[in-house]
Amino acid sequence: MEVSSVMKKQVVSISEDATLDDAIQLLAARRVGLLPVVDAENRLVGILTLHDIIQLVLPTFLEMLEDTDFVHDFGALEERRIPIDERKKPISEFMSPPTSCDLTCGLLRAEAMMRQHELRDLPVVDEQHHLVGLASWVDVGVAFLENWSQPPDPVQI
Amino acid sequence: MSTALIATIIFITVLVVLLSDKIDRTIVALVGASLMIGFGSFLGFYDEHLAVEAIDFETLALLFGMMVLVALLRPTGVFEYLAIHAARLSGGRPVALLVLLGIAATVLSMLLDNVTTIILIAPLAILITQILGISPLPYLIALAMLSNTGGVGTLIGDPPNVIIGSAAGLTFNDFLIYSLPVVVVAWIAALGVILFQSRRELSVLPKDPTVLDGLDPSEALHDVRTARKVGMILALTVLLFFLQGVLGLSTAFIALSMASLALLWLRPAIEEVLEHVEWAVLLFFIGLFVMVGGLEASGALKSVEALLLNVGQGETARTALAVVWLSAIGSALVDNIPITVTLVPVIQELGRQGLEIFPLWWALAFGAGFGGNATIIAATTNVVAVQYSKKTDYPIDSRMWLRRGIPVMLVTCLIASLAFILVLPHFSP
Repeated sequence: MEVSSVMKKQVVSISEDATLDDAIQLLAARRVGLLPVVDAENRLVGILTLHDIIQLVLPTFLEMLEDTDFVHDFGALEERRIPIDERKKPISEFMSPPTSCDLTCGLLRAEAMMRQHELRDLPVVDEQHHLVGLASWVDVGVAFLENWSQPPDPVQI
Repeated sequence: MSTALIATIIFITVLVVLLSDKIDRTIVALVGASLMIGFGSFLGFYDEHLAVEAIDFETLALLFGMMVLVALLRPTGVFEYLAIHAARLSGGRPVALLVLLGIAATVLSMLLDNVTTIILIAPLAILITQILGISPLPYLIALAMLSNTGGVGTLIGDPPNVIIGSAAGLTFNDFLIYSLPVVVVAWIAALGVILFQSRRELSVLPKDPTVLDGLDPSEALHDVRTARKVGMILALTVLLFFLQGVLGLSTAFIALSMASLALLWLRPAIEEVLEHVEWAVLLFFIGLFVMVGGLEASGALKSVEALLLNVGQGETARTALAVVWLSAIGSALVDNIPITVTLVPVIQELGRQGLEIFPLWWALAFGAGFGGNATIIAATTNVVAVQYSKKTDYPIDSRMWLRRGIPVMLVTCLIASLAFILVLPHFSP
């Protein structure tokens, strides 16, 4: 099965000229976890995730702690906000490189890519790198499970 | 060109590169060691056999053994447990928090490798201060400086002491008798200086000190059984250190055999344990031992010996003062580990020339240890504290450290100097 048959074709994306503030508003309004960033010709140039943005207020020293389960109250850290001037900067300063797969990508490859890049959604592009869809971790995973209920292929491992 | 001059040029170049902080110090030490062996073999003053002889395996074995014990203790959460208790005991009052965290880090680093202690305690100090909404900066500086200072009091407390103890054949108890009393006074003075320097930051009270109740020490200590077992082995290790003289065992043997015993008892995934051994520090030591071995073989250290003989005029107290300040300033400029490795053969040579050197070992321990507070690069703990500060909104830069470190170094070295002037007979075997 190919990723093109499980992906969403209506994709919320954002232009590379937009600001971080635009991205925050769009993520909240559409309740999505990942925004593909596209140029004027709808070519994928980057991705911006909810995780990337939350990371901006999450202090980096937390990564050094081997365990944070014992912290029941983050106190003053809960009050951290992204400064206004930071929010006015273009998203190109915050986005990650464009991780994507093409239309013929298999389900297991899509799953593996999301694990490798710690993503919950994977943009799908055509041969000219135009954004054509978005396959979520749930789309891919559920399709994978449904495959198991199909009668087995003649060729078995 | 004389061999001494060539060896000196290699060594000084290495020190300058270390000072510039551009290349990782372990890489620099290994390259320096290779250069020393290369030129030494070519010119006939040094070779790989002499290089292997120059490596002090006792120092390495002791450090390795203690590092394994800490690596076993680390995942149990016992360090988090102690830091949270200290924090809650402080009630969120900044001065009390600094003193209590400082005491916890000091006590731990007197018994364990102090670099590891800082690696484990510093992130918690940052977490606690950030939850309270206060600056972590004075805490990071205090943790490094207080554990550096306190570590001078025991044989295993900081790397220079391990080297000195091994080279001079000093026991664990020797350090408690000769070094610890001076260190207690110096530690209190250092704390006083740090509190005075940080008075403005520490006057900012947290808005809501009750957030500390949201830190659960018992939840942090998630492997009580392992913590108890390693704790028992550590207690046995310290007991053997006390009885070292009676039993005739070396500290290296005690540390290695206790580490083996702990591994046998716990049978952990060995790769995970070895991952947390500070291999870079051990290799840095090896590189330095080899390099200084070449320096000694080339005859280059004679000028330092002559300098000390000249300044000391054959008097023990004068020479001890010279060693304190020479090693303190050297440590501040470079790093206290290479300075200690370099001065050990110098002091041994002074002994062969008939000088009473027992007090000089303590002078070196005080100078290298207290000098380790002056600059960021002076001690490994400082490097770690600064690296962690860069992950917060309060990065520490070298000028800031210098402003706070130099006074601490001066006061503590002054106390060591006074000890040699006032109670010199204390420092005789």
